[in-house]
Amino acid sequence: MFCYMLDQLVRKLQRIPRTEFSTEIQLCRAVPPRIRFQGVQAARINRAVGQKTGVSVIRFNLNGRWIEDNKIDPNCTILKYLRTTMMQPDAKEGCAAGDCGACTLMLGEMTERGIEYRTLNACIALMANVHERYLLTPSGIGRAGQLHPAQQAMVDCHGSQCGFCTPGFVMSLANLYQQTGLHVRQSVLTDEQIHAALSGNLCRCTGYRPIIEAAHKMAALPACDVSEVSAHNGVQTFNPQSDVPADGSPAALQDVDGRRLFMPLTEEQLKALLRDYPDACLWAGGTDVGLEITQRFKQFDTIICLNRISTLARTQVLDEQLWLGAGVTYSQAEHELADLFPSFAQLLHRIGSRQIRNMGTLGGNIANASPIGDTPPAFLALNATLEIDGNHGRREVAINDFYLGYKQTVLQPGEYLRAIRINKLQSSESLTLHKISKRYDDDISAVMFALFMDVQNGIIKNARLACGGVAATPLRAQKTEQALIGQPFSENTFLQAANFIGQDYQPLSDVRASKEYRLQVTRNLLLKSYLELTAGQAGDAA
Amino acid sequence: MSHVSSKVTPWEARRQRPAKGKSGSKLAHESAEKHVLGTATYIDDMPELAGTLFAAVGKSTIAHGKILSLDLTAVRNAPGVVDVITLEDIPGEKDIGPVFKGDPIFADGVVEFHGQALFAVLAESFEQAKRAVLLAQVSYEEQPALLTIQNALQQNAFVRPAHSMQKGDAASAIAAAPIQMSGELYVKGQEHFYLEGQISYALPAEDGGIKLYCSSQHPTEVQKLVSEVLDLPINHVQVEVRRMGGGFGGKETQAAQWGCIASVFARRQNRPVKMRLDRQDDMVLTGKRHDFYNRYQLGIDENGKILGADIELAGFCGYSPDLSDAIVDRAMFHVDNAYDLNNARVIGHRCKTNTVSNTAYRGFGGPQGMIFAEAMLDDIARKVGKDPLDVRKANFYRDGGSTHYGQPVEDFFLPELVEQLEQDCDYRARRAAITEFNRTNRWKKRGLALTPVRFGISFTIQFLNQAGALVHIYTDGSIHLNHGGTEMGQGLFTKVAQVVAHEFDLDIDMIQASATATDKVPNTSPTAASSGSDLNGKAAQNACQILKSRLVQFAQQHYQVNAGDVRFINNHVVIGADENSAQWISFADFVTLAYQNRVSLSTTGYYATPKIHYNRDTASGRPFFYFAFGACCVEVEIDTLTGEYKVLRADILHDVGRSLNPAIDIGQIEGGFIQGMGWLTTEELLWDDKGRLQSNSAATYKIPTSVDIPAHFNVQLFDRANAEDTIYNSKAVGEPPFMHGIAVWCALRDAVASVADYTISPPLDTPATPERVLNAVMFCQQESKA
Ligand SMILES: Cc1cc2nc3c(=O)[nH]c(=O)nc-3n(C[C@H](O)[C@H](O)[C@H](O)COP(=O)(O)OP(=O)(O)OC[C@H]3O[C@@H](n4cnc5c(N)ncnc54)[C@H](O)[C@@H]3O)c2cc1C
Ligand code: FES
Ligand code: FES
Repeated sequence: MFCYMLDQLVRKLQRIPRTEFSTEIQLCRAVPPRIRFQGVQAARINRAVGQKTGVSVIRFNLNGRWIEDNKIDPNCTILKYLRTTMMQPDAKEGCAAGDCGACTLMLGEMTERGIEYRTLNACIALMANVHERYLLTPSGIGRAGQLHPAQQAMVDCHGSQCGFCTPGFVMSLANLYQQTGLHVRQSVLTDEQIHAALSGNLCRCTGYRPIIEAAHKMAALPACDVSEVSAHNGVQTFNPQSDVPADGSPAALQDVDGRRLFMPLTEEQLKALLRDYPDACLWAGGTDVGLEITQRFKQFDTIICLNRISTLARTQVLDEQLWLGAGVTYSQAEHELADLFPSFAQLLHRIGSRQIRNMGTLGGNIANASPIGDTPPAFLALNATLEIDGNHGRREVAINDFYLGYKQTVLQPGEYLRAIRINKLQSSESLTLHKISKRYDDDISAVMFALFMDVQNGIIKNARLACGGVAATPLRAQKTEQALIGQPFSENTFLQAANFIGQDYQPLSDVRASKEYRLQVTRNLLLKSYLELTAGQAGDAA
Repeated sequence: MSHVSSKVTPWEARRQRPAKGKSGSKLAHESAEKHVLGTATYIDDMPELAGTLFAAVGKSTIAHGKILSLDLTAVRNAPGVVDVITLEDIPGEKDIGPVFKGDPIFADGVVEFHGQALFAVLAESFEQAKRAVLLAQVSYEEQPALLTIQNALQQNAFVRPAHSMQKGDAASAIAAAPIQMSGELYVKGQEHFYLEGQISYALPAEDGGIKLYCSSQHPTEVQKLVSEVLDLPINHVQVEVRRMGGGFGGKETQAAQWGCIASVFARRQNRPVKMRLDRQDDMVLTGKRHDFYNRYQLGIDENGKILGADIELAGFCGYSPDLSDAIVDRAMFHVDNAYDLNNARVIGHRCKTNTVSNTAYRGFGGPQGMIFAEAMLDDIARKVGKDPLDVRKANFYRDGGSTHYGQPVEDFFLPELVEQLEQDCDYRARRAAITEFNRTNRWKKRGLALTPVRFGISFTIQFLNQAGALVHIYTDGSIHLNHGGTEMGQGLFTKVAQVVAHEFDLDIDMIQASATATDKVPNTSPTAASSGSDLNGKAAQNACQILKSRLVQFAQQHYQVNAGDVRFINNHVVIGADENSAQWISFADFVTLAYQNRVSLSTTGYYATPKIHYNRDTASGRPFFYFAFGACCVEVEIDTLTGEYKVLRADILHDVGRSLNPAIDIGQIEGGFIQGMGWLTTEELLWDDKGRLQSNSAATYKIPTSVDIPAHFNVQLFDRANAEDTIYNSKAVGEPPFMHGIAVWCALRDAVASVADYTISPPLDTPATPERVLNAVMFCQQESKA
């Protein structure tokens, strides 16, 4: 209750003239670290007496209870914080790498429609993520001493054996329950919905069958709305925009032991921060950098979070083009590409897991320059244009010119990827995508295959083939493309073109596949693409 | 004594109905509600005592070689570091080999595998310990490393001598047979991937002793090893485990090392010490299921009947024996699966390699033997051009026969079970439909397989087949139950509690199962070999029977009735022969009365499995008390352009005798099948040419997810009482269903074989990843062109 009132007060006081903040921040940056640290302390104290919105504090709602903490290291993950600082061990660690889902939690954000939740992997998400948001954990989702329907159904259907994965499954199911609106009306879930919700949860004991049954059965149990849990001690609609200046760099959200984290809300702020900290770690979804902390035990001194900059998280449908902000998450894109690029949306459905897709971004997937990222080949095939901004001003780069070598791009320190633009497909054009991996869901590609074709009057007018997993960077297959262009759209053309794959690509063998398989399957995928494009005409599609 | 807990249903109400949750009912797992809330406490969830420190190990960066120098100065000086230990700092025994020596707690001058522990660090936080271990300066004199079974065989490198079994004269039978054939199969191992990694929490205890919480399937062994390592009498060490987040064999021997290291630190610092392996350390530092390289020579007749078989199995043991002797034995015991080899010679090699020491994993070598039997049967079917199911049936054992290790074949009702599944799942009609599908589809092909499982139950080391239990009855009628078995998700605590409830005809909520603890029930066997409920259920029953006979004796004297007139019914004790005049006394009142009359309400129970024996010198005997049966039919579809596939349907009929808890048993069957499927499909262990484990994380080692399970997945119990006197005539269920996964592999191979019109048996080593399936398809394409 106290927190709630304080926050009300704070929000009133947030309308302090912007300049005051700037001075504060100038001060912060001008003084040596130790004193600066005190400066931030001072800000916090000011805040406590209601003079100014301090920023060096994480404030969040945990299962209905408001919590503030100003001593959280910027590198601290949600899971670590809950299990060690809060001594609340209901979320488990199975891998600390986003792969197993034992740590799955629900994170809620206030919107016009009320609190909206999504799942995430608490093991690789930073505490900054929960700032001014609503976190739900397995022990907190039941109401009035009752189990949540997801929990009750899991008990009824014998969905747990060793129980270690169970809290994570419960959260994925509870999120599915809430997202599909089962708390307001009964409906029937499909197996597809259930598998998608569970794609990031591994269970070694049950073989999943009873868990899927529980997912079906939870719909029939007495309804439960978890947002009532979150709202137990009052709802808050944050207006973070007013917390920080619109231009100039904002103060650190976290500043502990000389390590700091910034959470800019606008690109102006981001640019100001990049001027001061050109070598800062840019943190988008964290599904890649997060592993630096949890697997390699690295600690970043300066982290700049990109995921609250609203302009980066937008998609815009233009006349001829689609504009995708670099901060658009996979989940968002999966949804928003469904109409214009259905094959792309299907691919997105196979990237990581539901949790990973809720966090990871298109920009991160392109900027990390991994040779096995899934979207770069698709963007290469679509000949995407990348918008770059930062210390050297705004520029545009064709994605084909973006990658310089293994994990190297044209991005300079102090620059960021702003957006990706792709042309809409014309009626004669198509995009065929194939992801080859050992496991269907939540696996990294052995080969990612993307083929753009323009076929007019039975002749291939244009073709762009790009693959991942076959070279040091995602790469176009130029010789193969040449063998396609200008040729009749026929099986023979594709079979002939496939002979050039070996000239375009020299893959390596690794844990995911041998080089021989990578080449063979890429050749075969060319034929398979043809068969799919002609499915219905040729009878037996691949 | 007047207190009655509000959690207890009034006795009057209980009298009106049968007791709830007794053996045979579909009771939920005892911790189900705690599981879903996240409040079931695993060791890492226990509130840490003030002053707790965290340990991590430093690992070798070569696979084989001498350690020339180990400079740990930077490690000691790293932030937060409190203590560092190497082998020299171990006060007592330095080798923690469980059966045979050979597992030094830290590398003893020589590194034997990449990632072997060299030293350990203790720090104020887990992260500090993890960062510190990376600062060690180590120099080595590298030596050539043995990294494959083939290498080890060539160089005669073995961790234990080979063993062989035989029946009749295989060589002559093969030579005389109308058809001779040979083949081989490389079967890869498997990472356990229990969701909870290895963990131990050691607290300094009285008189220099240790109280250790350890996620272990074998607390007694951990206790013994900790006492040896600290040079203490065993009674100074207590090991406790309430539950594990999965074990699957991976915490049978391989939990001890971390418990020992934590204990050594706890003693040195006199502070609580937690040692938890993160996922990558867990995957690199602990052993896995063994790879096997198997070869056969067969003599068969024109109908595909096996006349003679010469089989050579070679297990990938890693650098030390661990349990490999018994594991390779079990592979040998199961290489016949359900088939009469008539004349057989089976040899099993225990290959030594410079890799982590492989260990127990659900099935304990059995699956690697059994899949080879099924591979042979498929090869035979292609050779003689028959449906594989018919060839299987033609080769089934019959009662009265005997195995290649001399165990008589009895109660062999597997043919009947297979017949029933064949009908239930419509095998013949689906076979015809699939043949048609494959004829009309150019790129997609379907496959079908129906394979049996016959799995021997008992530890093949005779002395392990014993168990103890401890039962206390309190004066409110509630019962405290303890036994030597550990709970790892398999539902053992639930089942044994149900046994106790059944014996006293009490509601299950009167029975409180408690953490396995070496100071409650001593000298226990590992919870392994599917034996948990067989052994501990019987031991608990024995304890209940002892208590019941005391209570009956007391009632006889007290009420002056015959023993037969004292009955335990509906949570009550009924005294008197005549239904109408009989006196109903609530269980609580009755035991209070007994207590007041000075009857002991606590006892231990004990059980030792009868009938079993095996003579290793003659390679014959009856190693198994009985066999569990089952069969599984799987349909798959493959894409011949990419090798990708989908398991479309699985039907399983499985024999658990008279089920102790059908819900739990079905859970074991479903989970076992999917784990077996994972082993043979997406889960691929890979070491590079330097001996580094490449599949060392959840990102590179892929266990099945929910979409991988067949959309049609039917599991039925074959309800028939075990002819042997097991607990309520049930059968063990932990391991046998794992091997139903073999049907997936056979079905994939069937689909591939369709490419060459079933004329050849394509090579398909495991796991059958899309890559291997595509290679097999291409093999068939080339062969049928040729
Ligand atoms: C369990 C799991 C499964 C995964 N599965 C897949 C998969 O199926 N397919 C696949 O392709 N990937 C997969 N990944 C990898 C991961 O999702 C991608 O690398 C992801 O795209 C990274 O995006 P992010 O927003 O999380 O990036 P972050 O981790 O936040 O950042 C990645 C890198 O990009 C930089 N960066 C991010 N955004 C920008 C920007 N706007 N401008 C400049 N630099 C930027 C960061 O500084 C960092 O160096 C998986 C990862 C995990 C943990
Ligand atoms: S702990 Fe495995 S995903 Fe977080
Ligand atoms: S219940 Fe054990 S991992 Fe799922």
